[in-house]
Formats: sequence, structure tokens, C-alpha cells
Amino acid sequence: MRKIKKLVSMGMTAVLALSLTACGGSGSESKGGNDSGSANQGGAEAGAASADAQGSEASGVPTIDQINLGTDYQDIAADILVLTDRTDIVDTVYKGYAEEFMKLYPNIKVTYEGITDYAESVTLRLTNGDWGDVCFIPATVEKSEFSTYFVPLGDYATLNDRYNFVTEKTFDNTVYGIPNGGTAGGVAYNKRIWEEAGITEMPTTPDEFLDGLQKIKDNTDAIPLYTNFSAGWTMGAWNDYVGIASNADPDYKNNKLLHTKDPFTKNDEMSGPYAVFYTLYEAVARGLVEEDPASSDWESSKGMINRGEIATMVLGSWCVQQFKDAGDNPDDIGYMPFPITVNGKRAAAAGGNYAYGINNQASTENQIAAMVYIKWLLEESPIFEDEGSIPALKGSPYPETLEEFDSVELLSDNAPAEGEESLYDDIRNMAEVLSGDYPVSEVLEAALYGSMTLDDKMNEWNEKWTRAQENFNVEIIE
Amino acid sequence: MENSRAVTNTISNKKSFRRWIGSRKVQRWLILITFMTIPLILLFTFTYIPFAKMVQFSFYDMKYIGKRTFVGLANYKETFERSEIFGSLLVSLYYMGGGAVQLALALFFATMMAFKVKGEAFFKAALFFPYLICGIAVGFIFKFFYARGYVLDTILQMFGMDLEDIPFWLQDRRINNISLAATSVWRYMGQNVVMFLGAMMSVDNDLYEAASLDGANKWHQFRYIILPSIKSIIVLNLILCISGCLSAFEPPYVITNGMMGTGTYFVIMNRIAHENQRVGLASAMAIILLALIIICTVAQKLFFKYVFNDGTSDESKAAVRRRKRLEKAQRQRK
Repeated sequence: MRKIKKLVSMGMTAVLALSLTACGGSGSESKGGNDSGSANQGGAEAGAASADAQGSEASGVPTIDQINLGTDYQDIAADILVLTDRTDIVDTVYKGYAEEFMKLYPNIKVTYEGITDYAESVTLRLTNGDWGDVCFIPATVEKSEFSTYFVPLGDYATLNDRYNFVTEKTFDNTVYGIPNGGTAGGVAYNKRIWEEAGITEMPTTPDEFLDGLQKIKDNTDAIPLYTNFSAGWTMGAWNDYVGIASNADPDYKNNKLLHTKDPFTKNDEMSGPYAVFYTLYEAVARGLVEEDPASSDWESSKGMINRGEIATMVLGSWCVQQFKDAGDNPDDIGYMPFPITVNGKRAAAAGGNYAYGINNQASTENQIAAMVYIKWLLEESPIFEDEGSIPALKGSPYPETLEEFDSVELLSDNAPAEGEESLYDDIRNMAEVLSGDYPVSEVLEAALYGSMTLDDKMNEWNEKWTRAQENFNVEIIE
Repeated sequence: MENSRAVTNTISNKKSFRRWIGSRKVQRWLILITFMTIPLILLFTFTYIPFAKMVQFSFYDMKYIGKRTFVGLANYKETFERSEIFGSLLVSLYYMGGGAVQLALALFFATMMAFKVKGEAFFKAALFFPYLICGIAVGFIFKFFYARGYVLDTILQMFGMDLEDIPFWLQDRRINNISLAATSVWRYMGQNVVMFLGAMMSVDNDLYEAASLDGANKWHQFRYIILPSIKSIIVLNLILCISGCLSAFEPPYVITNGMMGTGTYFVIMNRIAHENQRVGLASAMAIILLALIIICTVAQKLFFKYVFNDGTSDESKAAVRRRKRLEKAQRQRK
């Protein structure tokens, strides 16, 4: 009996051990596969970068600039799956694009999949290779990892001449993703309300802006500035003004900010990162925002700004089209640059939307078909008119929503210095400042409860920033 | 001759193997093994291996994707050094307070129903219903319930309160955690009622009859019959309640996004893992929380062991003391 027990228990442990090693084994195997895959890709990419087009042609997949739409690759047959975050229009507008494209390329079948909670789900799905063919590259993928997951689309110099915003998804002179158009950073407002409040000239400094909000509070019934606090991401949007809008310098975000000592310190001119958060802090402290930020609601706020119940919202220009669609007064919605003037000069950040990337684990036919489709979307589809965004193709006219940006220079962030491609992400994640929604939300809280002055808050950020800089041994240039 | 012996040998070997495999004991074990293999494999692949991975991650500085660097105990150190992480455990106290209210209310309702009331089935279903709604949906319900000028404020105004006098349910830091804890009371109380009621059903009806013949009122019946008989269920619910409070997540995450001082430990952990992509630090936080929950559970067990002589025994500590004192007195008399 005892023997049998022993035998059985041994058998059990053997089974368990087997199942354990089986899991561990397959895990490490697939990882190994990935690694070697990335190594190969790295090699291919290096080849593509140095030998330009020829190197990549050898692998069968062309670069995106080599494709002639409508004539090339008519014989390719493939089913491609495109992942998107726009669950609201995936079955209507996006499906329409796919159908139009399939008229041009009847052998390629394009299917869309809408994903809620996009960034998180896709980050997880990327790690196993079988997620589809085209996706919007989530922000969580760092530049150094592009080659692990995505097909090189071409070299930087060539594509930068042709498309806007390609810098953002470029690593080592190779482009892995091309943004689906772009937006400019500014402030959405209701023109009618601002006029009714008696404001004739649009503000150019934070204090003029706050005076304007005060006039709106005194002279109209509208909420001067709606923060949309409880949605979270709407607070994160304030981070976007730190780079170009507050410094008018395309080198600031990716290069100077990383090497600046105490970047959040106040300056006399009221520009720089401090000015951005000063605008938010003071608006809250002076009671110029909604009464109960904790119960604000993003969906209904769209209709409210359209009807004139809200005067101002600080969000990227992509929101303008949605505000116009949300009610009967589309012509009331205007868009102005963020009110900061640096040395008499004003600038607004123009940045890319989500960028299209192609799965490098997909078959060669699928990769080519996906590239043809992306090219068509970027160059011939009506997507940028529909979304009111800056077109991907250089030289195309800007959307009319940006008419007030005439006097303002539209800039995009320059690429980081060599070897510092992921430093910005590393530092802000480590410092937990300028990353995500919570740091900005804390500024609002500090103002709402009066629990902390803005100077104290900014000093705290300076300390965190310094600690992260020290951690990564960043050279400080005074 | 030799050949035939060899043949008989193998036959007897075969026979004995067949007999061995056919024997009751072996059969029993075979069945045990075959039945247990699949659940055990599932248990290991979905519970223990991920857990082991998490323990491993907690020693690394890593994101979900990208390279990992071994940092030893640095993540644990950081967790203990950051005041906002441990401060968030204080928020759990609100949920524990809510948990106490919840158990008391559940006991009250369950007792009412144990004494045959009209429409018992309806009330049971009505109380249990919130538990069936998923936590995220509950969050959205209460987001609008508490919003300025929405449901709760409208109801209070119907009773003649001025909007000026009504506090901001989610913004006022003195009460917003209470507002949130109330939502979890609303959600989980029904489940407790059903559990208590199930335990009360096992009490013999004759006991109530005998007690009422002896002149015991409902309170006496509750105090001396129901409470002692469902003690183990109450203890179990208390333990579940405390560990649930330490890991409260959905109400603050959905309703206030963890802002305005409502961030519980779990919400902050989620923030660190997903917003800041510091998976190593978040894993270390998770393991510290696990340790805390184990400590709380053991402490609770010990407490009940001391007070009630283990939650399962029918004799309370006080009764044991009385008995011992009596015995001692008798011995002294001798």
C-alpha cells in the first residue's frame, strides 16, 4: 500500500513537472523565436538603411514610396485585418474606405476590427505575433522596439520629404509607422460665447486668457473652462502643450527638456512648462471651471460646447470635428492657439495621430497588400477631410479649422539625439511627471482644495525630474 | 521444458499485472489521478505559474515589452518609501467601516427573513439583485447617481433640501470615500444576506418553538439561537470582507478615477503598472498586498480563536471561562 502511494505520488509529481516544463519550454521557445526574428529584422533594417531600396526589395516587400497606386501589385491576393481604436465609426466610415479600396484592388480583402481600450489591449496582443496585419502603433511601444514588431516602410530621408510627422515612428533612420494625419495643439472654444462676453482680441498670454475666462463668467451663463476632469485622459492632454506651445522651439521636448535643470521653474515672461500648468491652476483656483469636476462627463460635454453652455476646452484639434457634429451650431466652434508668447513669437505643436504599422510576422503577400492599403489611405482616401486633420501628404492644404493659426508657426518636435531615442519616455516614466493623466489631475486638485501652491507642486516635479535625470546619468546643460 | 516454463512465467506475470491493475486500490488511485490531472494543470497554468512570474517580475525593472534589468529588492524598497502608496491603505479603512455596516445590515435583513415574513422570496431577490450587476456597471450607475444635480441631489431637493446645502458627493474629501464605500455596501450586502439566510435555515425550527414557549422574545432568539449557530459563517464573511476592502478597486477606478484622495492601493497599483509602465514596481506592490492580506487573515483568525474559542466551536470563550471557574471552585471545595 505504502509503495503504491509512493509510486502514485511520484507519478503525480512527474505529471506536474512535465506540465510545468511543457509550459516553460514553449514559453522560452517562442521567446527565442521572437528574439531571433527581431535580430533578423534588425539585420534587414540595417541593410535597408544602408543599401536603400535595393536591400529591402531583396526581401520581397517594397518600401512604401516605391508603390505606384492602382498599377502595382494588382495580382496580389490577400485578406488583411486592420485594427483600429475608432469603434464608433469602424463599421460605417472605415468600412466605406475599405470598400472603396477594394474597387481599386479587387483581390485584396480588407477587414477592420474595432478595439475598445485600444492601447492596452493592443500592447498585449503585439507580444504574440498573430494580431492582424495593420494596426495603429500604440504609444507603449518604444522606438528601439519597432523592429521587433513592424515592417520597415522606407528610409527616413525619402519618406520625410513625402509625408508629415514621420519622425515620431522612426528609429535608426528607418520609418516603421506613418501617422494617420496630424493635429495641432490649441484650445477649442465657442466663438459666439467669447464674443458675447465682450472679448474682441484673442488672448496671447496665460493672463489674458484667464481674464477672458473671467469675463465669460461675469457676462454669460456658460462655464468658462470645462476641464472634463473625471474622464482622466482629458487632463493628460495638457502635457501636449509643454513642448512647442510653451517654448516655440522644436528641439525643446526631445532634446533640451531632458538636459534642463529644474525645467518646471517659473520665468518672468510666463512661458515654458510652468505657464501651461499656471493656466490650469489659476483657472481652477479662481473658480473659472465647472462646479463639480468629479462628475464631469465627456460625452455630454461635446453637446454643451456646441450649444454654448461651455465656452472653452483645452484639447487637440481632432476634437473640433466632434464638437461640430454634436449639435446644431457647428459654425460656433472655433479653435485658437494655446495662449503663450515666447519672445514675441507664437508656435503651435503639430503632431501626428496614431501611426499605421504593419505586422512583420505576417506573410509577404499580406505585408505588401497592407502597405498598398496604407498608401492608398494616406494619399487618396478622403480620411483627412472627414476627420478634419492635417493631411499626411506634405503640401496638401490644411483643414479650415486651423484658420486662426495663420499668425502662428506650426512646428513638430525634432527627433531626439542619437542614443537618446527612448530617453524622454524613460525619464518621464521614472519621474512620473508629464506621463499620463494623474500628475496633471494633481495640479487641478491642488488648486481645487487649495492644498498646495503651484510653486510647491512645480518644485516637487523639479525634484522628481532631477532624480530621474540622475538615475539615467543625463548630462545637465545649464 | 525450459520453454514452457518461460511461457507460464510470462503468463503469470501478465496475470499478476492484470490483477494488480484491476485491484480496487489501484483502480481507485488511477481514477484519482485521471480526475485530478486536468484541474491541477489548469490550476498551475492559470494561478501558480502566473504568480511565480509575478514574484520574478517584482525583482526587475521592466515594462510589458522591452528589456528587463534585475534590480534586486529596489522595488520593495521604493514601495515602502513612497508615502502615497501606503497612505492609500488608509482609504481602505473607509471600506472596512462600510464592510461592518454591510455585515450588520445583512444580519438584520437575514434575521427578519428567517422569521417568516410575507414576500420573502421577493425581498431576497431584490436584495440579491445588485450583486448580479458587474462592478463596472455599478460604477457607472453611481457616477450619475452622485453627479452634481443628478439623481441623489434631485431626490434630496424633492424633500426640500437646497442645492446649496447638499455637499459635493464625489469632490468633498471628507465624504467622498464614504460615498464610494456605500456603493460597495449596496452591491455586496445582498450576497451576505443570502449566505446568512442559508446558514440560518439549518437551525432546527423546534429550537425557536421551545424558546418561545420558555418566553424568549425575538431578540433573545437571535442572540442565543441564531448568532451562535451561524458564527462560523459570520467569521468567514468578516475575513472575506477585510481582504475585499484591502483590494477595493472598481468603485474608485470607475467613479472618480482614483483622484480626489480616493485612490485605493489597487488603483495606485494599476496606475503604476499601466500609466507609468513600471511593471516591476507594481508586482512588488501586489506581493506586499498579498502579504498584508495574509497577515490580516491570520490575525483575525487568532482574534476569533481567542474570543470565541475558534469561530467554529459553539462554546464561547466566556462560557469556557465560566466552566473552568466552576471546576476550580469544585476542586477547592474538595
